[in-house]
Amino acid sequence: MTATEELLQIERVTKVFTVGSFFFKTRINAVENVSFGIKPAEIFTLAGESGCGKSTIAKIILGFEEKTAGEIVFENESIAHWREKRQLFIQKVQAVFQNPFESFNPLCAVDDIFFETVYNFHLVQNEKEAIPFIDERLKAVGLSFSEIHSRYPSELSGGQLQRASIARALLTNPSLLVADEPVSMVDASLRMSIVNLFARLREEMNLSVLYITHDLATAYYVSDRIAVMFRGNIVEMGPVEEVLLNPRHPYTQLLRDSIPEANPHRKWKGSVRVANVEEEEYLQKGCKFAGRCSLAEERCRVDFPQETLVDGVLVRCHRYN
Amino acid sequence: MSFVKKCLVPRLIQYFLVTFLGLTTAFFLPRFLPLDPVEQRIAQYQAFGVYIPPEQLEEIMNTLRQLYGLQGTLWEQYGIFWRRLFMGDFGPSLARYPTPVIQLIVQSIPWTIGLLLLTTLFAWVVAILMGGVAGYFRNRWTEILDGIVMVMRPIPYYIMALLCLIVFAYIFPIFPLSGGVGIGREVSFGFDTIVSIVKHGALPALTLLVVGIAWQFQSMKLIVQGVRSESYVWYARAGGVRERKIIFHYVIRNAMLPMITQLGLQLGTIFSGALVTEMVFAYPGVGWILYDAVMKGDYNLIMGIMCISVVAVTTSILFLDLVYPIFDPRVRYR
Repeated sequence: MTATEELLQIERVTKVFTVGSFFFKTRINAVENVSFGIKPAEIFTLAGESGCGKSTIAKIILGFEEKTAGEIVFENESIAHWREKRQLFIQKVQAVFQNPFESFNPLCAVDDIFFETVYNFHLVQNEKEAIPFIDERLKAVGLSFSEIHSRYPSELSGGQLQRASIARALLTNPSLLVADEPVSMVDASLRMSIVNLFARLREEMNLSVLYITHDLATAYYVSDRIAVMFRGNIVEMGPVEEVLLNPRHPYTQLLRDSIPEANPHRKWKGSVRVANVEEEEYLQKGCKFAGRCSLAEERCRVDFPQETLVDGVLVRCHRYN
Repeated sequence: MSFVKKCLVPRLIQYFLVTFLGLTTAFFLPRFLPLDPVEQRIAQYQAFGVYIPPEQLEEIMNTLRQLYGLQGTLWEQYGIFWRRLFMGDFGPSLARYPTPVIQLIVQSIPWTIGLLLLTTLFAWVVAILMGGVAGYFRNRWTEILDGIVMVMRPIPYYIMALLCLIVFAYIFPIFPLSGGVGIGREVSFGFDTIVSIVKHGALPALTLLVVGIAWQFQSMKLIVQGVRSESYVWYARAGGVRERKIIFHYVIRNAMLPMITQLGLQLGTIFSGALVTEMVFAYPGVGWILYDAVMKGDYNLIMGIMCISVVAVTTSILFLDLVYPIFDPRVRYR
């Protein structure tokens, strides 16, 4: 691995959760040997259904969750070293969450946390400098200071709040933005404005974005590379055009085919096997997708497939071995 | 201006309406009791062995009715009730004729308020601090604390009160068994009197504190646990907001809101006394005289206590409504 190229490198990260009661404990690999890297000024998408472990990865990167095994390297330094200078790490890695209505304390004015951030990181000396500083970042997302000044979250719209939460993350001039489902709670008509914002910030501020989503349409539109996760494993990873226009893994194919078209005359056809209980699928031997896969063979249920490189795309499926 | 129009006026109208209905209930309810104070009084005489000839009975009953102000129709009485109420007069106590009701209440209300106000406020503050800490930090000590409370909470109050009484007043006679102050002592502001009051109040206060802290601790702990995992707390943490600020400005502050409501409602109920506490410890509070009044069919006294209680509850709710916007900007009127 060339250490200098990647901004953030995730190497064989595993997260084990223990579920169940006192006597019947089961260990579930919520994230299993996941490796990927994000380059500077790259938008990297982590896609998959709910409960596939994509948010767990975000939490591990942000330090909210301990990884069980593996290594995370940010700017060529292990995340264990960053722990000692947590404030500096936070300054460089910022986060945007799913529900903008819940991102701000309902009892505090929205600009509260903006001031808190700029003073905390010693970005400005006093209020006189703070206001233009905050205003500048808000302008970058299409808001202004007067729009949020002494307003409470309940007085702003979801789109405004989500853009404000992105602006707040940009205050510290981060090099990586971890965006966990940033558009799934935003009105459909505003989604593109948020996604476009990511693309523009990447151009203007050299910002890398880890875009976590289940929405393949916006992922295709905005990202450079994509990793599709299923039950704790990356099943397919590569350039976004290659992966989504020409999906190789049966799960990616299923996801791609599930994108509804805005065409009422085209009926959705094909039958889908309904997912098993999440826990069952996690504990399954062999390929975790075998229970739902229409192409599953005997070896899929027994052997865990290895990653194979097919035309620049990493695929974890027996059909390509 | 819009504050007065949109917030104050409707609240006040509601306040007066509810108070009026409550006071009306306070007037009618004792009169639906299956007890007749006149008959009670006569039964009392007969219990002493007084022989009343049947031809005189009717006459005595009429005299008593007149004396008690129970003559006339219900509506006439109701009219008199309102006229008297505005002068702060609830009429004479029927069981302890002719002591005015208001005098009985004034005598016992300081005991009740002294005991309940102090324990309610103290329990609230302690429960919030302990519950906040126990909800935010999960470690061995808070688990132990939680375990103790879980064992304490389901014990019925009267059993715990009796246990305290047996242990701390009988087996180890540290505190007096009953009363609000030493027998025969003049209630004045001397040092000895205050020591005596504190000593007598200690056990009732202790039991009330244990119960009050236990259940409020549990609710505060659960609320904090809920708030702690709210998205905005994580967002603040991801944004580098300091942990101190997160604890006080994000978690405790948000968790306080339901607790403030709880406190406001509790303060209103203080004026009706703590019946079981006052019974077990023979504490001379409002609860005690209310119990006495119900047993003796003392209409006026029941009514008097109910009226004060109704006004106290509605007033504390009005107060709560008016100060709540200070704590919660979402209900602020602009």
